[in-house]
Amino acid sequence: MNSSLNLILMLMIVAMLIPIYAAWQANDVWQKMLALASVSSKASMIILVVSVLRDDWMIGVVATIVLSVGNAGFMILAHLLKRMDHS
Amino acid sequence: MIDMLSYFCIGGGIIFWFWGTLPLLGKRSVLFKLHSLSVSDTLGSMAIVFGLLLKLPSEWQLLILAIISLAIWNTMLGYVLAYCASSQEDL
Repeated sequence: MNSSLNLILMLMIVAMLIPIYAAWQANDVWQKMLALASVSSKASMIILVVSVLRDDWMIGVVATIVLSVGNAGFMILAHLLKRMDHS
Repeated sequence: MIDMLSYFCIGGGIIFWFWGTLPLLGKRSVLFKLHSLSVSDTLGSMAIVFGLLLKLPSEWQLLILAIISLAIWNTMLGYVLAYCASSQEDL
């Protein structure tokens, strides 16, 4: 189980590198927000796979919290950016 | 059999991830990228979590909570980003 889940983990990390590169390249703030939102949900998924790999609940709870609070923070930031540009 | 099914779900989720993330590198509009990204991130991640659920049923409460929060939060985030980014392009 471990070796295959390790391979899956490496594939997921490679999949996460693409939005990180896109965020670095992006000039428009919304493109950057988009890429970083993708990084946050992918990172929480990677943490969840690690928690199953190690069979450790606490890491799984951290992943679920990152998933919920991370996305909520992004929503607030998006609204803030929108209002700052209108004022 | 269950192991095969869980690896199939996880593999499918990772393919979804790559399918939704690659357009990010292109020159398309924000809304086009957002659509493919939020669909692939949400569905791909839910397939991965379901694969994990098959692999480790003892942690089912947490994994179902992760599926529910994925379904709600990722969808909501995609909508909020679309709303904020599209009102930006109308100016």
